[in-house]
Amino acid sequence: MFKKLKEIYAYRQMLESLVLTDLRTRYKGSFLGFFWTLLNPLLMLLVYSIVFKYVVRIDMENYTAYLFIGLISWSLFSQAITSGAGVIVRNAGLVKKIYFPKEILPLSIILGGVINYLFSLLILFPILFIHKINLGLPLLMIPLVLLIHMMFTLAMTLLISSLNVFFRDLEHIMGVVIMAWFYLTPIVFTSSMIPEKIAFIFNLNPLKVIIESFHKIFFYNQMPDIMSLGIVFLFSLLFLQIAFLVFKKLSRNFAEEI
Amino acid sequence: MDVIKVTDVTKSFKVFKERSSTLKDRIIFRRKNKFESFLALDNVSLTIQKGETVGLIGRNGSGKSTLLKLLTGILYPDAGDINMTGKVSSLLELGAGFHPDFTGRENIFMNAAILGLSKKQIKSKLNDIIKFSELQEYIENPVRSYSSGMYMRLAFSVAIMVEPDILLIDEVLAVGDAAFQQKCMEQLMKLKSKGTTIVFVSHDLGAMEKLCDRVVWINKSKIVADGKPKRMIDKYLTFLGDEENKRLIREEEESTHVVVNEDKAVENVNSEQQINVESQEISENIEYETVDRWGNRQIEIVDVMFTDENNNKKIGFMSGDYMKVIMKYKINQKVDSPIFGLGIHTIDHINCYGTNTFIDQYSLGEINEHHRGEISFNIASLDLVSNTYLVTAAVHDINGNQYDYHDKRFSFKVSSTVNDVGIAKLKHFWKDEKNQEGL
Repeated sequence: MFKKLKEIYAYRQMLESLVLTDLRTRYKGSFLGFFWTLLNPLLMLLVYSIVFKYVVRIDMENYTAYLFIGLISWSLFSQAITSGAGVIVRNAGLVKKIYFPKEILPLSIILGGVINYLFSLLILFPILFIHKINLGLPLLMIPLVLLIHMMFTLAMTLLISSLNVFFRDLEHIMGVVIMAWFYLTPIVFTSSMIPEKIAFIFNLNPLKVIIESFHKIFFYNQMPDIMSLGIVFLFSLLFLQIAFLVFKKLSRNFAEEI
Repeated sequence: MDVIKVTDVTKSFKVFKERSSTLKDRIIFRRKNKFESFLALDNVSLTIQKGETVGLIGRNGSGKSTLLKLLTGILYPDAGDINMTGKVSSLLELGAGFHPDFTGRENIFMNAAILGLSKKQIKSKLNDIIKFSELQEYIENPVRSYSSGMYMRLAFSVAIMVEPDILLIDEVLAVGDAAFQQKCMEQLMKLKSKGTTIVFVSHDLGAMEKLCDRVVWINKSKIVADGKPKRMIDKYLTFLGDEENKRLIREEEESTHVVVNEDKAVENVNSEQQINVESQEISENIEYETVDRWGNRQIEIVDVMFTDENNNKKIGFMSGDYMKVIMKYKINQKVDSPIFGLGIHTIDHINCYGTNTFIDQYSLGEINEHHRGEISFNIASLDLVSNTYLVTAAVHDINGNQYDYHDKRFSFKVSSTVNDVGIAKLKHFWKDEKNQEGL
């Protein structure tokens, strides 16, 4: 993996331009431009807060802020999976004609997602401010939590994107999986609302720990649970290692398969 | 120093008959994909030294591009090893990764990054690239507004400015107008003199001869020959001529096959069939009269074929080649001194030349009943211009009674290296005569 990372580093310029192209094509030629990327989570927030606040009537203080923290962290993951699934196939022209470490393609998706995430923080802080939520030292933990989140998401994206070359319907299957996964993660509800009977299912979900950590930092102004975060970190590291291996093995046949 | 070392590399592709690439199909129907293997490279070994410029030639589908892709690292070999030393850059396709909405300048950055350059390197080369592409005025326009020539020029300029240790080029030299091509050639020469190892695939044999130190000829997944450019190219061209000739013969055989079926005439397709038809003919004693063949068949011309001096069947000739027309005949009844004749016509039925054994006072050997024989008409230098020619073959008695007359039923083709016109190539030369002074 170290050798691969070195090679990816050598191609960092390509990675950068892929990420920038992705971001720029999104706003080039559209009237609202870059604000679309900010508008998207806001609209989602609007819909979810109407449904869960006024229809489902979740009784919770500052529910909108809570929802937003979960939503932006979640969309980093879900968008990486949905647009990452087809990234190899979409870039067939490059894969078939040019040599480069193919890991760059899924990686560019993740980095694009992280940049979007950072931009949505620009909206998050005013929202937190309006709700008069206190922020403090736990904010220092953001880079670590974000790193773990990225590692897990990258591992998933590497797996899905490489498998999707061979099973093209994986992209669509993932749509359903992502939807189910959304409700297995405390985003629209809190962990304490999960009935104990089925809690074990939720506890298998590494994203639960990650998103809970974000909630703790931004919402409760508490330090995340280092213990469970550590476990998720180790798990993600192992998972990432495996994903790199699988990707490497499958990538040998990319040029022939697409 | 060997910078490229290919050892016993084999690569095959799966050609799928029916393809299901969905998880659903695999799981629900447990469908196995049927495929045939296509061997693209068969146990190929090749070493290239630092600074060498090597050209790969061969027909389409012979495996040249596959080899380049293996060298680049886009494909991986099924068996064998590939060792590359140094920074490799490949131009398999120009403009891969261009984004139509971005300006020329932005695309230069992106494309150069894809080819593995760092930002600093790109910045230092930016002006050279723009200058080389001759697109100064358009460089801030989006690439989608470029003409295809401009697009290619930009792409090529980026690619050629990436100064790698090993450069792999696939059939992309034919870019832009003649002047730009000349410039590309010069740039390649420059890279070459700097010690870059270059491997390229091209069908432009002229360029190849100019640029290469060595040419490798690949045919049907294997390296056939490897050596000095001029020699290899000549070998290859001869091979191509042969192939073309074979193709014509095959085509002809297919069409004569149809003729045989249609009018049941005796043509050679295979000897078995020939004998079949023959015996049938004798037993039934049918008079064959068709639009283009007549005569009483006391002597029968069973086949006419064109060959070179060594009796190898040939249909495509070069102007000036040795041509032999062989008439195979069969004597059904004993006759006195038959005369064999031959006529050559252009495709629009202009008679170019005709003669017979009587005119030429050639006397045949003894002729016996139920014998078979061959007589050949030899042209030491086929002085015809490039065209398709029809041939009439006949055998008749001294009074002109036809035994067997084949009216323009055979054809051959002549190609020429020069573009002279008319029918016959008259032997000639040019000479400067003294100008007469005064009027």
